[in-house]
Amino acid sequence: MIALVQTLVFGVLIGGVYALMATGLTLTFGVMKIVNMAQGAFLIVSTYLCYTLWDQFGIDPIVAAFIVMAPMAALGLVIYKVVIERLQRIDPGLTIVATFALALVAEALLALAWGPNQKTATPEYFNQAIHLGQLVVPRGQFYACVLAVVITVVLQVAVKRTWLGRSITAAAENPEGARLIGVEPARVGAWIFAIATGSTAFGGAALSFLYQFTPDTQDVWLGLTLSVVIVGGLGSIPGAFAAGVLLGVAEALTTTYVSVRWATAVPALLILVVLTIRPQGLFARTTRQDAAS
Amino acid sequence: MTAQRFRRLATLIAVALLVCMPLLSDDLYLQNLLIMTFLLAIGASGWNIMGGYAGYISLGNSAFLGLGAYTTGILAVRAGLSPFVGCLVGGLVSALAAALLSLVTRRTRGMYFVIVTFATLQLLGVAAATWTGLTGGSQGLALPLPTWDLSYQNWPFYYPMLALLAVTVAVSAWVRRGKLGLGLFAIQDDEDKAAGLGLRTALYKMIAFVLGGAFLGVAGGLYAYYVSFLNVAAVFDIVTSVLIVLAVLLGGRGTLWGPVLGAFIVAPVSNLTSTGLGGADSGAVRLLLFGGLLGAVAIFLPRGVLPVLQSWFRTMVARRSVGTMTDDGAETAGGSSNLPDRGSLADRAELTDVLAVRGVGKSFGGLRAVDNVDLDLTAGRVTGLIGPNGSGKTTLFNIIDGTVPTREGRITLRGRGIERAGRPTRAHLGLARTYQLPRLFANLTVIENIVVPERKFAFGRLWTKRVSPAERQRALAILDDLELAAHADGSPADLSYGQRKLVELAQVFWLDPVLVLLDEPAAGISPALSERLAGLVRSLRRRGVAVLLVEHDLAFIASLCEQVYVMSRGAVIAHGSVAEISAEQVVVDAYLGDSVVPIPAEGHA
Repeated sequence: MIALVQTLVFGVLIGGVYALMATGLTLTFGVMKIVNMAQGAFLIVSTYLCYTLWDQFGIDPIVAAFIVMAPMAALGLVIYKVVIERLQRIDPGLTIVATFALALVAEALLALAWGPNQKTATPEYFNQAIHLGQLVVPRGQFYACVLAVVITVVLQVAVKRTWLGRSITAAAENPEGARLIGVEPARVGAWIFAIATGSTAFGGAALSFLYQFTPDTQDVWLGLTLSVVIVGGLGSIPGAFAAGVLLGVAEALTTTYVSVRWATAVPALLILVVLTIRPQGLFARTTRQDAAS
Repeated sequence: MTAQRFRRLATLIAVALLVCMPLLSDDLYLQNLLIMTFLLAIGASGWNIMGGYAGYISLGNSAFLGLGAYTTGILAVRAGLSPFVGCLVGGLVSALAAALLSLVTRRTRGMYFVIVTFATLQLLGVAAATWTGLTGGSQGLALPLPTWDLSYQNWPFYYPMLALLAVTVAVSAWVRRGKLGLGLFAIQDDEDKAAGLGLRTALYKMIAFVLGGAFLGVAGGLYAYYVSFLNVAAVFDIVTSVLIVLAVLLGGRGTLWGPVLGAFIVAPVSNLTSTGLGGADSGAVRLLLFGGLLGAVAIFLPRGVLPVLQSWFRTMVARRSVGTMTDDGAETAGGSSNLPDRGSLADRAELTDVLAVRGVGKSFGGLRAVDNVDLDLTAGRVTGLIGPNGSGKTTLFNIIDGTVPTREGRITLRGRGIERAGRPTRAHLGLARTYQLPRLFANLTVIENIVVPERKFAFGRLWTKRVSPAERQRALAILDDLELAAHADGSPADLSYGQRKLVELAQVFWLDPVLVLLDEPAAGISPALSERLAGLVRSLRRRGVAVLLVEHDLAFIASLCEQVYVMSRGAVIAHGSVAEISAEQVVVDAYLGDSVVPIPAEGHA
């Protein structure tokens, strides 16, 4: 019994982190209908940057995330302007191909710069734990989960309450209508993309002290974040959070009761199952779609 | 003509060279390079059927290579089956996997497909690495070594692989020239519309994906025997998928020879880098090269090499032979109606119920778009549907034709409950529609657009010509009636807005429907064209078709419709003849306004 509760605690903690890692994709894929196959690469680039700030200057990875955020957002902006905006007009399929190409380039550059060996940031809390009776709550995971909740809540509020957030929703749901009321979808798109890549700084920071990472894990993280977005339903930040927790618990249960190796198959399996039985995601509601036709 | 002859000659020379190569040179490096090139070309040609024709991009096609390779390897090691037989089983396994994957994507579109294929590749990779009893896991799987005499060199691999490539390209060409290709390109342009015209799009996609997977599976089996050692990381590598996509994009997506050409560029580069580079960074450099190349092709050469070369060639030829064009559309068949007339049927079908809608409703979130609607349509009668913008007319259309699913209410078409039926099924029962803005398939010519609709699915028909001579004659007759015969082999993009509306109506006629839904047919077109449209609607009525017409132009409605339904806020608020509903106060309040002019009754003819 205690093992089960412990497993669930691990699952919920890591699930929050998964949701955090997927927030960027929730925005680009969910709101803009752009499948950014470089999400995993953006995450792992952020991870290396946070790791380096910690390794070279002793800056705590969570603090480092706030520094890394700016260059990542700038990178996203440039990529949007140079690649996405152009290709999305010709053929959205090409955007998928191009972003995946970008991911490979990023993976290669990381391997050239930092080498292919495993790394991990080790701030003093990374292997400490809080004990609650018989339960163990690792401090690193706890902090990462708190960070995840804070960032996703901030983003959720931003999307629901601010002018930019409402413009984003408007431009995504009805680009023509948005243009009529002075919201330029292309400009809004650039903003979303910048926010999305910027937010990978936080997911990357969490990743840097929770996991051992190498450049070639980018496609694993891509699979995981895609899974979160698909299970959670497109564009829904609360949905992504629920999906992240579901995924975390499913992985923890698989690790405890089946095997660690099969746990890595859980995200891919969830994608296939959800798309088969409920393509709109487990936590999404249907909306009117005929306005575009 | 010269371009075609040139292409045939070039193909012939290339094939002859490849066939003779092992006889002329005993260079093992060259043989190896060509075998790997054939493998990639098979993968690329197969990928192109789904990715180029239907527009569904896959990043997981190396899974088929892996499945074929491991099936062959396991059969050879555990059952002692010859890899040359085993590879056929491998192809079968890959085909089954592709069919299964198509089921997963049955209800999802476009961008989800790439995610499904990506996830499948990851899943299979994990499974192969974990299921060590079967695959040898990270230890790898060693196949029995070939037993033939060394003097044969790699011939026993070379010729089967070349033959398989020839078969793959031949099948790809067959698909491209047939109804299957027509359907796949239609799916690429507008899948919803294709389904609405009666194409079983899910089946079309499944066949396309299975074909690509099967050939790569067989090739994977040959590859397994050739390299004689399999490990999971190398076989289920996503980089193989990337090379396939790169070859297709570089050569020209959707063309027949582009993927082959692309493979002959990409494979040598790949081979050169894997043998030429050394050291710890070689993997990263390779990745950088292919990632960069793929990105550059997507951004700077999205159409690929072959289409660009073709358009150069065409402009050169065109410059030389200005003014030699002949006018094909000169023969006109006079003013008589060539639209297939079924007057006798009209008498038979007079006043039978075609469509009955009972208690249908639909909510989007909190919005009640359609609320408890009852509606009856009768054969040979035109029914109008009017109401303010946002009153639910188009949503009702979408519910009837199956675009929008609903759980409320019943819809009966010719006595059959269709509320659960998919769009192709409804089209097969004789339901057709047009859209507010005409939706034609941009990849197809005008005449191909017209012959896309089909009233039943027949597997054998997929392999017949896109437009058979009989179909061409019939379609030309229809186009002639619409005065569009000159555009028959042109692109729908060259037509005016009104002309595109006419072509969309011609698609409706081609389906030979019993029920037609017309969404604002007269909006935004000239009075002359509007009159012609009215004539087409009347000819539908003469043929015993039930027509439901959404229109804001009340004069247009009055001149055509026997009965009118009025919708407001999702509900039907009035129903009757034009004169009756014009007199009703609720209608005037909701829609017509105070200054409504009574409509002359003689407009009914």
